[in-house]
Amino acid sequence: MIMTHPGLPENWAWLVMAGMLVGGIWLLLASVPKSPRMRVISLASVPLLGPVVRKLAASRGVLLLLKVLTVLVFLLVIVAGLFGTPIPERNLATLLTWNLWWSGLILSVFFLGSAWCAICPWDTLAQWLVRHRLWKRVDSGSSLNLRVPRWLASVWPALFLFVALTWLELGVGITTSPYATAGIALLMVVLATASLALFQRKAFCRYFCPVGRTIGFYSQLSLLELRPIDGDTCARCTTLECYHGSDTIEPCPTWLVMGRMQQNTYCLSCGNCGQSCPQQNVAWRIRPPSVEALHSARPHWDEAWFMIGLLALTGFHGLTMMPFWETWMRKLAQVIGDSGQLLWSFSIGLVAVMAIIAALYAATIAITKAISHSRLDFKRLFSTFAFVALPLAFAYHMAHNLNHLVREGSGIGAVFANPLGIDTAPLSMMEKHARSMHMWLSQDTLFALQALLMLLGFWIAVQVIRYRGGALLEPGSRWSRLRLLPLLGFAIGITGFHLWLLMQPMIMRM
Amino acid sequence: MSAIPASCTMGQMSDGRGIMNKVLLLVFALMALVPAQAHHVLGRPAYSLNEDSNTPPSMQVETQIGQYDVTYMVFPAFPRAGERGRVNLYATRLDNGQAFAGEVRFTVRDDKWFGDKHEETLGTQLPDDHVYRQGFVFKEDGDYIITAEFEADGEPYIIDFPLRIGQPAGVGPIGVTVGVIVLILLGVNLLKRKQLARVKVRYARDELPQKAREQ
Ligand code: SF4
Ligand code: SF4
Repeated sequence: MIMTHPGLPENWAWLVMAGMLVGGIWLLLASVPKSPRMRVISLASVPLLGPVVRKLAASRGVLLLLKVLTVLVFLLVIVAGLFGTPIPERNLATLLTWNLWWSGLILSVFFLGSAWCAICPWDTLAQWLVRHRLWKRVDSGSSLNLRVPRWLASVWPALFLFVALTWLELGVGITTSPYATAGIALLMVVLATASLALFQRKAFCRYFCPVGRTIGFYSQLSLLELRPIDGDTCARCTTLECYHGSDTIEPCPTWLVMGRMQQNTYCLSCGNCGQSCPQQNVAWRIRPPSVEALHSARPHWDEAWFMIGLLALTGFHGLTMMPFWETWMRKLAQVIGDSGQLLWSFSIGLVAVMAIIAALYAATIAITKAISHSRLDFKRLFSTFAFVALPLAFAYHMAHNLNHLVREGSGIGAVFANPLGIDTAPLSMMEKHARSMHMWLSQDTLFALQALLMLLGFWIAVQVIRYRGGALLEPGSRWSRLRLLPLLGFAIGITGFHLWLLMQPMIMRM
Repeated sequence: MSAIPASCTMGQMSDGRGIMNKVLLLVFALMALVPAQAHHVLGRPAYSLNEDSNTPPSMQVETQIGQYDVTYMVFPAFPRAGERGRVNLYATRLDNGQAFAGEVRFTVRDDKWFGDKHEETLGTQLPDDHVYRQGFVFKEDGDYIITAEFEADGEPYIIDFPLRIGQPAGVGPIGVTVGVIVLILLGVNLLKRKQLARVKVRYARDELPQKAREQ
């Protein structure tokens, strides 16, 4: 028996809608400055905190310790999944992976960027297996160091794997199977190891890993960035240790040159650049979360599709947790003669939602192009405005995951005490209710945060339309701003859909 | 695989003492908290306690086929080889909720991708209070598929359900993972050695004429 969590109350939804109205009017009336004013604070220059940050950025010991810890927890998850109870709510593998890690990971990106990748156990284990070293530089180890073929060197493979992961997660239901959860975790280690053994640097992290790419794109909206302290020092640098590595430190695993970094997308926060830079010219900075989406991130065709894919899949994720989803699936199954797990019906639903969102976005771009008489081709406009999708997807993803985390995280203590769930029985209805009562935040705080996130996502999307639109479309009269109306309509429509999803009762995961 | 059909007439024993308290507490919880509702994710195994009786936890799968909604329950939730177990099946029409009343035939086969799946008939059952009960005893642990077959409105209905006997082999996935990784690393190592040997030969070829010239 599965229970539902209450949805966002109507008054919060009205508040968000009022905010959207203000944002929409402001987009049409306010003038757009050439480039946004963005203040950043380098953590290295903050009194007292600065020296600690510098020390941490240059030290490998702390990172190694964290890596060892995550690997140990990861191995415990494997053991619990393979040898523990199949009851998902009593097994550490399912509860930690899906209720805590996957929900918390998305939220962590906003504050810490791609910090997870710095301690990711799949990559750490792959490194140890292929390079045969805990941390020191090895030039090739057991790797063939091949170039990634051109047809694979994009984020298409990651998008494909992300769709596959969603299918396994929500269609096949690996989230409720500790055994399958452990199996997927092992598969990720195999994929990371195979890629490291075959290709140069960390091709898996850059092109294939669905989790890493999701983190990467969302981290464009993170509060944190790793950048040069002084741009001129980088401009004068001829040795590029950040890119090539030093005698003891590996080069940047994703082929980035620190002095030219404009966006977080491919940074794994591994810290190699900070450790290898002879000038110690790399530091963490706090910045407004919209800076990359507004202007510094460069548009690319494959990346645009990844962002649209993220938008579609996050909405789809929410949709499948609504009680009415099952009714739809049942009806569809009757029409097409599906039975068992109704995987055909689920797959049709998944493809349909993705196609609808992509078609809506493509139509928005086509209308914008037509009414603005833009000479830019469709592909360019499609890629540039895809940054509108990113804050919309991220905001809803965080608001949705916050619900899981706050309402479903409470059982984790008991599961840590008995990770394999030995001699445990399924949760009774009473226990389920008790778990849902022990929320990590009060319900009102949760609702307020969800509403705030929706507003923040919409606000950044409107800003993206203003700045990217202003820079891309030829200037005209004051009313030429009306050309951006289709994009504003898209942002309003998607936010409205997400808001509606949040207002529905949501099925408790386990 | 060897499944011995065993007719099962085990009734559900009720524990009157605790029921009232539990029901009351549940009602309060339902009123005070969220609007909870029963929900099964179709086709997926779910484990549940029957709080109104002393029966052990059960594994349950709910799904639909054609015009019928079918619920399949396994008692106990984690049956083991050599132990008596039971499958309960209910089938109700999707349009009017009427329970199916004809015969249901149960068969079992190994759930494996390759090789002989070895099918056996467990039995044919008539409903008892709308429930079809089919007992079983398995000799060996493993993954099996229970197939329920019935005929309604002149149409044949065949539906498969999973049944796990004993603990799944945990070392299997670990073995496969280690095996695949070792294969990859060995393969890459071999190719690297070949690469290195080729480089050495080329180097030696380039070296020789140079030395000759120097002499
Ligand atoms: S990209 Fe994927 S494999 Fe690489 S470090 Fe991040 S999560 Fe791990
Ligand atoms: S070396 Fe590359 S991936 Fe690692 S922190 Fe620096 S820029 Fe990011």
